Amino acid sequence: MPNTMTLPTSMIEPAAPKQRGYWGSVGNRLRYDPVTVFFGLVVLAIILAAVFAPLLAPFDPYKESIIGRLKPLGWKGHWLGTDELGRDILSRLIHGGRVSLLMGVVPVAIATLVGGTLGVVGGFGGRKVNTAIMRTMDVFYAFPSVLLAVAISGAMGGGATNGMIALSMVFTPAMCRVAETATAQVKNLDFVEAARATGAGTLTILRYHILGNVLGPVFIYASSLVSVGILLASGLSFLGLGVKPPTADWGLMLSTLRQSIYVNPVVCALPGAAILITSVSFNLLSDGIRSAMDVRM
Amino acid sequence: MPYRGPRSTLATLILAAGLIGAAAPSQAESVLTVGMTAGDIPVTTGNPDQGFEGFRFVGYNLYDSLVLWDLSSADKASDIKPGLATSWEIDPANKKRWIFHLRQGVKWHDGCPFTADDVLWNLARVTDSKAPQYFTQQMALSRTYVTNFESAEKIDDSTVAINTKVVESLFPYSMSYLLMVSRCRAEELKYDWNAYAANPSGTGPYRFSRMVPHERLELLPNKEYWNKDRIPRHDKLVLLPMPEAATRAAALMTGQINFIEAPAPDTIPRLKSAGMQIVTNKYPHNWPFILNFEHGPMTDIRVRRAANHALNRAEFVELLNGLATESYDTMPPSSPWYGHPMKYEFNQDKAKALLKEAGCVPCKLTLAISTSGSGQMQPLPMNELLKSQLEAVGFQIEFKVMDWNSLIEIARSGVPKYPNIDGYNGSRALLDPLSALIKPVWKFHWSPAGSNWGHFFSQDAEDLITAILNEFDADKRLALLIKLHELHAEQALMIFVVHDLNPRALSPKLKGFVQAQNWFQDLTPIEVMP
Amino acid sequence: MINLLIRRIFYAVPIAFGVSVVCFSLVYLAPGDPLQTILPSDASAETIALVKAAYGFDQPLPIQFLKWLGRVMLGDFGQSIATRRPVSLEVMGALHNTATLALFAVPIAFSTGFSMGAIAGCFPGSWLDRLLTGTAVIGVSLPNYWFGIVLVILFAVEAMVLPATGMGANGSDGFSIFRWADARFMVLPVITLSMVPIGIIARSTRAAVSEVMGQDFVSTLRAKGLSEPAIIRHVLKNALPQVLAVMGLQFGYLMGGSILVETVFTWPGSGFLLSKAIINRDVPVLQGTILMLALIFVATNLLVDLAQSLIDPRIRRT
Repeated sequence: MPNTMTLPTSMIEPAAPKQRGYWGSVGNRLRYDPVTVFFGLVVLAIILAAVFAPLLAPFDPYKESIIGRLKPLGWKGHWLGTDELGRDILSRLIHGGRVSLLMGVVPVAIATLVGGTLGVVGGFGGRKVNTAIMRTMDVFYAFPSVLLAVAISGAMGGGATNGMIALSMVFTPAMCRVAETATAQVKNLDFVEAARATGAGTLTILRYHILGNVLGPVFIYASSLVSVGILLASGLSFLGLGVKPPTADWGLMLSTLRQSIYVNPVVCALPGAAILITSVSFNLLSDGIRSAMDVRM
Repeated sequence: MPYRGPRSTLATLILAAGLIGAAAPSQAESVLTVGMTAGDIPVTTGNPDQGFEGFRFVGYNLYDSLVLWDLSSADKASDIKPGLATSWEIDPANKKRWIFHLRQGVKWHDGCPFTADDVLWNLARVTDSKAPQYFTQQMALSRTYVTNFESAEKIDDSTVAINTKVVESLFPYSMSYLLMVSRCRAEELKYDWNAYAANPSGTGPYRFSRMVPHERLELLPNKEYWNKDRIPRHDKLVLLPMPEAATRAAALMTGQINFIEAPAPDTIPRLKSAGMQIVTNKYPHNWPFILNFEHGPMTDIRVRRAANHALNRAEFVELLNGLATESYDTMPPSSPWYGHPMKYEFNQDKAKALLKEAGCVPCKLTLAISTSGSGQMQPLPMNELLKSQLEAVGFQIEFKVMDWNSLIEIARSGVPKYPNIDGYNGSRALLDPLSALIKPVWKFHWSPAGSNWGHFFSQDAEDLITAILNEFDADKRLALLIKLHELHAEQALMIFVVHDLNPRALSPKLKGFVQAQNWFQDLTPIEVMP
Repeated sequence: MINLLIRRIFYAVPIAFGVSVVCFSLVYLAPGDPLQTILPSDASAETIALVKAAYGFDQPLPIQFLKWLGRVMLGDFGQSIATRRPVSLEVMGALHNTATLALFAVPIAFSTGFSMGAIAGCFPGSWLDRLLTGTAVIGVSLPNYWFGIVLVILFAVEAMVLPATGMGANGSDGFSIFRWADARFMVLPVITLSMVPIGIIARSTRAAVSEVMGQDFVSTLRAKGLSEPAIIRHVLKNALPQVLAVMGLQFGYLMGGSILVETVFTWPGSGFLLSKAIINRDVPVLQGTILMLALIFVATNLLVDLAQSLIDPRIRRT
């Protein structure tokens, strides 16, 4: 859930300057971490399933059948049964991954880009710039994330695009904080001072020294937000503020199938299981990467 | 720190007052608890919000209007009957002056007598912005019904005259939607309508007991009701807003409530197997697409007819588990205004031929639909079926899917603002001839001023409407109304799909409910068995 | 200390102002008509204009904002368009219902999560650690509204032992947590709500405990020959402030963020009020609810911050 979006304190610690063979050691650590590898593969499988949905799905996810409504698991080749319109659940789950992943990932990407940039500018820039940026972010940070997401997308009338805008606005302030803290801390480290002393320009310092050391925490934090993004996005769709029907989307499927809870409870529970598996996998993958990249360990 | 507003004390007082006349407590209290589809409790200050459901459960229970609906029979089409007025007639000398004879001896829940002055006071409350009792919210909620109201005067203590702006033979129907509230109570509360909402007084068969905002409204029988046949036969009526069908079904199954509105078709088998009574009846409702007559393919009658021939309505009925009937016209055949309209049978070849003749291949349509909404039935599954059937004959449908409020905005603004929408899916209440037959085809009601959304125009329709509004002989007027209904069909005015059967599920312990062919229902005869 | 208090409060004021600007402008992003709810669906353009003027929605936005802000400062959040009840009353009632759940969910989450995290952190690498950490990950990854539905399926639809929705026979007005007939309505929502905080608290406890375990003083204690349980007691005591802070934040989240769970259980709390206001486009309720919830969140954060500095002077930031 979005309240998992607490700032990881360990990440705000200054990262040590990059050393030779860093990525090699990260890779090495990952190789000996079977849990992360396993969930990495699960995430890969989920992404591939979404990308190649039209090839994988056994049925057309939008093909209804009046007689084949709300059938149980395994009915006439529908492994996971059919929904309230007789559409194949498995196919809709596979296709639904496309929208659900997109709605979870795109806002994180936007927030990383926008929030990260603002954070670096805020951290590197002068006091006034910093105050202006960070105080504005604080205002948005003052809302519980679900509330802000619901309020923004609700106010704008729902829909996939509005939902993604809302989620981007939820993630940006947090992202900005992570980037700002990392930048501010790196800025005063010896090697940056040294670079400055040797006459390197601001841009050069930014490019070679700051970014190199800020990207790590930003990336790790972004990876931990993906699962939150997916949960929030499906939550919005569940409330009717996200994707509009008949688009296949896990949150929306959960919301419509809920009306048939008395007819076929098992089928109703499936889209939520898809959300859970995806979100757990992303979380564990992100955890693994974080500990692998944490050079302070 | 339990939260208590002033309403609790008030409610307790009223409850205590109500109990004085209540039955001996030897038997367990019999409570009728209704799960409504509304998202909130309808307002209690007179005309309710939440559409006709608000009228059904709150409006006509707390209040009466001059003219009421006859809800006593399940077998015949429901029409208006005397309410607070015992009779009415048009002034023979002035076709714009209606005389209403008022019922004598009626008392408000607060004990004051109902008078001719009260009627004038109520009319001013929603029409005269200078009157102290003028109330914006009520003005907004009743304005549709008083558009033709000009002025009113008291003839004597038991008679009032109402003058209309234009001649309108159907005016008494409008008066059935204007609920009368107590002037006594309003003056006592110094026109504080919030206080009134928490302590309303009407003349209806139920009196207010208590309210938990957003959650429940409790009403007690009005033992002094002027119509002795309609004194409620249970001790208490509790109304709960439950917008989700699954929630309503769950609450009925676990015994939290004993009467639910609109159970989802899919839950019916389970409800039946749990012993619940499922009641249905035809009623004046239809679920059509209202079309654009200014722009796009729907301006061509051949395209409209093609769309109507393309639909296999039997599949819709099957989708809804039999809780609907096929609709080929505006009115269901049980309506007195039905006549002998053209019928658009399911015929894909004919539909294809018509489209080809019209040169609309593929025929692209942009249709607005809602995800839910009052009277919208199961909009998403039904529209997906509609789309597949229309596309089978050569249409190409693009849906604009939106929430109910956004669809209302489109419905209200009409084609001037949304020229590129070829039609929208809005269920229609066909209670009175004005809203059922006249408004959708009358130029006077072109949107956004009225409900002729697509700017339909035909001189024949205009002439018929003029004739109807000037015809004060009921039989002759009926013949004209039938003609107008046949014109709807002949013009393929809408894409006709189904009529709802208005399902309700009742606990096996309830006895005596008669489902009238109406949007409104009478709950008073229901008995709750132990 | 006083200085810190003043500084923190001073810092919260501009945020609160910003929050109010956001709340106000949010609503005007909205397409459609704020007066939708009270107008019948076939209201004419003329009627709409009349009503708009009567409600003051025809004035320019900055004027509307200043008027609104001025009233809000005096504690008047305006009145609901749909029900005409004062927004503050609406929100207070709803908050009371939300707090009823949160006050149960947070202690449950804290005791469960803290025990899980402490056990896992004390035996790092063991199978117990893996089991508990794995459970905690499921907790934080759980779509709790779905979990609520699953509980409803199991306990209300199939077993029929607990009610599915609502607050019981009398609604929130007569609700008493001491009467089982009422309290049973809370069981499923409270369990659902506590799942995510359990995961979060377990994870942060484990992190805090293993961090403290790695500190020098633990090896010193061990070298001094202190028994293992005594060491663990020391470790937990040191990890506690951080976990308490997390718990405080979770309470803030639960007060404002349980909209999904409240929707599933039709629990008449603040989230439910908000979703209803969105559906009805009830502008004053929407603005008032979001503002009140955000301010509560700001205040909780402030309190947590201050409490943390009180308990542990090391983290007293400037």
